[in-house]
Amino acid sequence: MTAFLIHNMAPLMFCGLIVVMLLGYPVAFALAAVGIAFGLLGIELGLLQATLFQALPERVWGVMSNDTLLAIPFFTFMGLILERSGMAEDLLETIGQLFGAVRGGLAYAVIFVGALLAATTGVVAASVISMGLISLPIMMRYGYDRRFASGVIAASGTLAQIIPPSLVLIIMADQLGKSVGDMYAGAFIPGFVLTALYAAYTLGICTFKPSWAPALPAEARTLKEPDGSSGSRSLIVLVVISAISAVAFAKLYYPPDAPLDELIVVATCVGTAVAFFAALILKVLKLRLLSNLGERVVFVLIPVLGLIFLVLGTIFLGVATPTEGGAMGATGALIMAFTRRRLSLSLLKQAMDTTAKLTAFVVFILVGARVFSLTFYGVNGHVWVEDLLTGLPGGQLGFLIVVNVLVFFLAFFLDFFELSFIVIPLLGPVAEKLGIDLIWFGVLLGVNMQTSFMHPPFGFALFYLRSVAPTREYRDKITGKMMAPITTMQIYWGAVPFVIIQVLMVGIVILFPQMVMVYKSDASTVDPSKIQINVEQQGEAPAAGTDGRPPAPPTEDQQQEKADDAAQSLQDAFKAAPVAPGAGGAPPPK
Amino acid sequence: MKSLLALSGWMDRVSERIGHTIYWLVLAAVLISCINAVVRKAFNWSSNSLLEIQWYLFSAIFLFCAGYTLLKNQHVRIDVISGRLSKRTQAWIDIFGTLFFLLPMAILIMYLSWPVFVQAYERHEVSTNAGGLIIWPARLMVPIGFLLLAAQGISELVKRVAFLQGLIPDPGEKQHEKSAEELLAEEILKARGEATP
Repeated sequence: MTAFLIHNMAPLMFCGLIVVMLLGYPVAFALAAVGIAFGLLGIELGLLQATLFQALPERVWGVMSNDTLLAIPFFTFMGLILERSGMAEDLLETIGQLFGAVRGGLAYAVIFVGALLAATTGVVAASVISMGLISLPIMMRYGYDRRFASGVIAASGTLAQIIPPSLVLIIMADQLGKSVGDMYAGAFIPGFVLTALYAAYTLGICTFKPSWAPALPAEARTLKEPDGSSGSRSLIVLVVISAISAVAFAKLYYPPDAPLDELIVVATCVGTAVAFFAALILKVLKLRLLSNLGERVVFVLIPVLGLIFLVLGTIFLGVATPTEGGAMGATGALIMAFTRRRLSLSLLKQAMDTTAKLTAFVVFILVGARVFSLTFYGVNGHVWVEDLLTGLPGGQLGFLIVVNVLVFFLAFFLDFFELSFIVIPLLGPVAEKLGIDLIWFGVLLGVNMQTSFMHPPFGFALFYLRSVAPTREYRDKITGKMMAPITTMQIYWGAVPFVIIQVLMVGIVILFPQMVMVYKSDASTVDPSKIQINVEQQGEAPAAGTDGRPPAPPTEDQQQEKADDAAQSLQDAFKAAPVAPGAGGAPPPK
Repeated sequence: MKSLLALSGWMDRVSERIGHTIYWLVLAAVLISCINAVVRKAFNWSSNSLLEIQWYLFSAIFLFCAGYTLLKNQHVRIDVISGRLSKRTQAWIDIFGTLFFLLPMAILIMYLSWPVFVQAYERHEVSTNAGGLIIWPARLMVPIGFLLLAAQGISELVKRVAFLQGLIPDPGEKQHEKSAEELLAEEILKARGEATP
């Protein structure tokens, strides 16, 4: 019996973890308890040093002094303030008008706004709720297929998971021991490609099932010119002018050897500034060269793009660390909400309250994970997992396929918190051993875990859409017709094509790692990572130096270090978790 | 049992008060970090104590709000199975979990982190960074945070037992504050002149 226990500690511990977590007690404490229980057992059996738990205070200290984790409350707070600033509503209404005239226009608008919101608020729940309340009734009014309409809304909402500054990517970077800036840069192109795939699917629907996604009739387009034209011509002219000035600036004034992402950021800024000042001058001089629609679009988009620049632009330029980017974005969000007269004391309190609770539960999962990993690595659990996974046929590709299939199916039952917290730290070291780039690996799993939001019947995005979609027959205000409700099955079936697109995207990322690897061309992110190293030293150095207690016997040193890394990634994974219940509402029944 | 419930009610109010005070640190951390970032770039001036105060604040937020978060039942659970069980069974799970998961962990970490604080205090440890902050207040946060968590855990335990005895309604249900999602939905509907669905 004892021999059996000694030889199978790691698998037993893992099974124990599964059983205990399924019990339904908060994950953070269940994890820690399994770590402590098996630690005591290990000490009893002579597998572990009696001083094992002396390392616990330093584990907690390591979590406290982790500068990357600080980005969690910042981005959460920013998202909570922004979602109530009215920005999403303005965007959806204006962009809906802009694209309304074409077939499937509202669907394109939802995808485009979903991507924009993803780059700012990064809260899936908020995007889905805004779009479900604003766009869905209009889509239903003008005869969109209900499954398609709800699918496109739920899927576009989940873009927040993969497009930076997503919390998942922060946690993933932390867990895998990589820089957040690199993870953002790596996720950038896949995020765009995924958005394009959604749009391509919409195009396919418009071509083969035109009745599913009709264009808005003329009377539904309220932003018209006095003479009845749509006013898109002058907007197109403005867009062309600003695009030309952006390209011209990049070609003429920018050093040819500058990194690509820096060039893109700066050129986009120039183009946007040109459009903004042109629109402003025309408005002040009352020249009426720009249509109503053009003016609305420019003035609605500018603050959003400004905010995206403040957060992502500064990170990509290497001017700010992700944590600083989050703080500046949060301040920007406060200013924006204030200027729109949406900032009240109750909103501020509510955002701080939700942020504090979210930070506490995410970081505590991390603390629990570190307690668990202390024992798990002590009994060589990482070696056990490695042996299991390196034995797979097919080398790198075989490993990637097995891991992605595993994560895809686990995503039906677990949300990405639990996934990134328990699964990623085990997989990361194996991936590295197989020579897989960890940023690529992280982005890949990020795309995969995004599906956990859309999986019927537990996906969060579907849950939030269900909570705002009409459940009863109602009379449409504009047309006066009775509208049938949206059934839960329609929401589920609508999500299926997008889950398939997601799987396709996982394949694309596996086949074309170059999409992610562009982060390597990026010399400018070195600066922020240096800063991070500095800060970490501030926290860790005194701990190690002053503790006066040997943290672990020498033979365990390496394991200990590894354990720390893994725990770190766990921590990161937990950070991501806040996004899921998002703004901190009660998580849906799983 | 009555006096225990009174004690539990008192602890709930303490946790609530602490949570509502500590959450202001979120705003403080945001503003300090933002100012720090701008000043660092614009005037090329930075201070290690300004950097360190950020993670002091961060630590205070998650450690001191852990008990508050427990009170609000916001620690993440996997309720695939337990969500289908009866309220009484869920209460039993919570009692078991509090006794065997939460309390041992909180008390163990509290017990082990106290000497670390005492040592930092007696030796007047200061951060190794130039101009860094003193260490012991941050070290002290750990045992206090876990003490608050354990105390709230005991309060939850009392409430679950009282519920099983039929003395109070289900404590897991009682937190009916509106979530951020509900408030957002309400606000959008209000702006559009429609009633809540």
